Amino acid sequence: MTRYIFKRVMSAIPLLFGLLTFTFFIIRLAPGDPVSLYVQGDVDPQLAENLRVQLGLNDPLPVQYVKWLKSMVTGEMGVSFSRHADVTDILADTIPNTLLLTVFALFFNFLIGIAIGITTALKRGTLADHTVNVISLFVYSMPEFWLGLMLILGVSLQLDLLPASGMHSPMARFLSTPAYIWDLVKHMILPVFVLGVASAAATGRYMRGSLLEVINQDYVRTARAKGLSEVLVIGKHALRNALIPIITLLGLSLPFLLGGAVIVETVFAWPGMGKLTVDAIFARDYPLIIACTLVSGVMVILGNLLADVLYAIVDPRIRYD
Amino acid sequence: MSPRILFVAVLCCGLLVSCGDKSGEKDPMSGAAVVALSGDADNFNPVVSSSATSGEIQGSIYPMMFDVYFDLQEGELKFDPGLVLRTERRNGGKDVVLHLRTDVRWQDGMLVTPEDIKFSYALYGDPEVASPRRNYVESMIFTDDKFDVDKSIEIIDDSTMVFHFAKQYPLQKFHLNLSPVPAHVYRNADRKTLRNNPANERPVGAGPFKLEEWVRQQQIELVRNPTCTLPRPSKLDRVIFRIISEPTTRLTELKKGTVDVMRPVYPDDVQDIQENNPDIRLETLPPRNYEYIGWMNIDIEAYHESGGKTIKPHPLFGDRRVRQALTYAINRKEIMEHELGPYGELAVTDFSPIFRWATKHDLIPYPYSPEKARQLLRSAGWSDTNGDGILDQGGKDFEFTLYYNIGNKRREYVATVVQKELKDVGIKVNLQSVEPVVLFDNINNKKYDAFIAGFQVKLAVDPSDRWGDVSNPFNTVGFQNERISELLKLGLHVPNIRDAGPFWKEVQSIIHQEQPCSFLYWVKEIVGVNRRLKSTNINILGVTDDMYEWEIGDPNSYMTY
Repeated sequence: MTRYIFKRVMSAIPLLFGLLTFTFFIIRLAPGDPVSLYVQGDVDPQLAENLRVQLGLNDPLPVQYVKWLKSMVTGEMGVSFSRHADVTDILADTIPNTLLLTVFALFFNFLIGIAIGITTALKRGTLADHTVNVISLFVYSMPEFWLGLMLILGVSLQLDLLPASGMHSPMARFLSTPAYIWDLVKHMILPVFVLGVASAAATGRYMRGSLLEVINQDYVRTARAKGLSEVLVIGKHALRNALIPIITLLGLSLPFLLGGAVIVETVFAWPGMGKLTVDAIFARDYPLIIACTLVSGVMVILGNLLADVLYAIVDPRIRYD
Repeated sequence: MSPRILFVAVLCCGLLVSCGDKSGEKDPMSGAAVVALSGDADNFNPVVSSSATSGEIQGSIYPMMFDVYFDLQEGELKFDPGLVLRTERRNGGKDVVLHLRTDVRWQDGMLVTPEDIKFSYALYGDPEVASPRRNYVESMIFTDDKFDVDKSIEIIDDSTMVFHFAKQYPLQKFHLNLSPVPAHVYRNADRKTLRNNPANERPVGAGPFKLEEWVRQQQIELVRNPTCTLPRPSKLDRVIFRIISEPTTRLTELKKGTVDVMRPVYPDDVQDIQENNPDIRLETLPPRNYEYIGWMNIDIEAYHESGGKTIKPHPLFGDRRVRQALTYAINRKEIMEHELGPYGELAVTDFSPIFRWATKHDLIPYPYSPEKARQLLRSAGWSDTNGDGILDQGGKDFEFTLYYNIGNKRREYVATVVQKELKDVGIKVNLQSVEPVVLFDNINNKKYDAFIAGFQVKLAVDPSDRWGDVSNPFNTVGFQNERISELLKLGLHVPNIRDAGPFWKEVQSIIHQEQPCSFLYWVKEIVGVNRRLKSTNINILGVTDDMYEWEIGDPNSYMTY
């Protein structure tokens, strides 16, 4: 298994290199100029030209590419065009914010999704099954943007239960540690709900379908015939096999951990990777776009790898040696 | 532990924690105001910062050469003493002597000196720095096409310096008002990478506030600068700028009382606020931004193929009668009333009505008249010869694509109305929404035949911004007129601003006649302010102008989360 993981990681390096090279050329060939956002209003008409020289954008594309390659090899991610700060510093500031949001969102997504799936599968055809299905699909089918705004208007403005936006209260740094954490938790509830809980319905559907398929298998029937309790039959025999598709889903969801969620981050003013990436694209901030692509690329590769490893853990028939 | 008990336990802990932090200590929010902004700052160095947020905040951190305000009665900028106590003009107005205060200190205790000012102007004028405000030095002394700071700026003593200009012109004081930065902080900085200098994140200023904390994409916290003497420390302990890009969320925070000031409030939300939020007062800013439909005046294919040398009329919009017809064909008043209501003002030219002395008030806006439009198009040789409902000339239909920025609801509406109304006079308009970066790039590089855009005028009248040379990126429609070029030269060489009034009025008459664009409306921006905030002087210079005067009526009125 270790050798398998090592091989997979090694094969990912040329893949990432190809991805970044592709991104390098695609963003430079795309219409739009990084300096055009500066040339508005009362500014020096020569600003664009001076900035192009300063940012090295007047160099021929191959020269820019060689310079970029050199900096990548030395681990230099460059300086953001739009934020005028080291790209690594920007990522170091943003990634923890994103992880805080997405880890909890993913956790609740799977926790609630699996619970919904098991409940609806075991109570198939009952009123409870239909009710849970209708409610979860109702929430799931709401656009994130709309759901987020409705929660802000309802829970925050009308009921005044939770803050509407941001990660912290403006003066959070004056709070004691427990109060600071509580302040953070209050700010997280609405975005985590929109991001994680609302999409648990989809996970629930996967889980339901998978479990329904498994509980009709012979080995489950055998387990029941042996006289095992229903908890053991489902928990030990059925669930383990039913989880395989969920693991694929988990693996595919991993890039989201660092990719962030642009809509939720925008609505709730959460400074995460999703908004960072989109802002970088709109600003044609080449170094930042490349860095965000690198982060996403690494997460996609790791997600797939993790899913493959988890298959082997859950399903003893799968071996990579 | 059952889930129910666990939930109750967590809630109780939260309640205890949230109550516990307030005991015995002064709430840091009690002397604070919160302002919501749509975007973050890029840096806090006035030489290189470009974002509106940086511009808004820097004015409270850095020393200002003059205390500038816009006199709405007279319609012009006034320059009260700031770092500069008084000025004298010499040498026929080409030299301006500045008499400076000698008691102003940077927040690190060093004196603000004439060397700081000269050093700062050297940075502003250096092309390697690529300052957005480099044009402020363009009328000073240049040697071998380079800004010559030593010939332009002469330090006489600690309180006197002379600025030498190549000519006398009315905007000299405006161009003398660039914020200085401390030379002792930036002296050894690499000019090519000044934008990325770490010192830009820890500004050393001399204004009423100093930067306490900047959490990127979250908030910027200013605290009062107790050593400020220019003019004095702020009355508030702190002002927090929160970055909230989504307008509905920003408005919700204002309504909740967790934000004291936010802009812009959209006209659609005004009635709701007035009816349901008595704690919020709405302030309207005088019009400084206008929106227009640009018609390319020159043949852009020929222009670009010749590297900018060939200037010939655009095949569709090159004829003045066609441009006039287009303005007649669009019901601009109805568009404005639908989108802005009382917060709009019909635009006649690109001269803002705030410049009372320079505005030609007797120009009559083009009324909505499809009949007049058809008549003008006929006289320009456009008729529907093949009966397909679209005008044609020489076998070519009158058809073009109108570009506008994606996601801008107001411009989407304008585009749809224009498409419909021009169809009524026999013109086929294809609509194309474009991502803003691409749109601005293509507009500035004259790549579109027709587009919807906006423009913010600066606070000193300078029509050369828009109507200068065709190569100027802000002359987005490639408009050229010999008489306007003469008038620009005349108006920009008078000794006093108001002497240029007659020239600018003639410029407006020509623009009105020529219709290089169809000017739509001026936008009066609405700002929402919580009534607990007193002494706000929200004006055309910015929401945070004179922020040091802000006071809080009831210090306990901030709603803590």
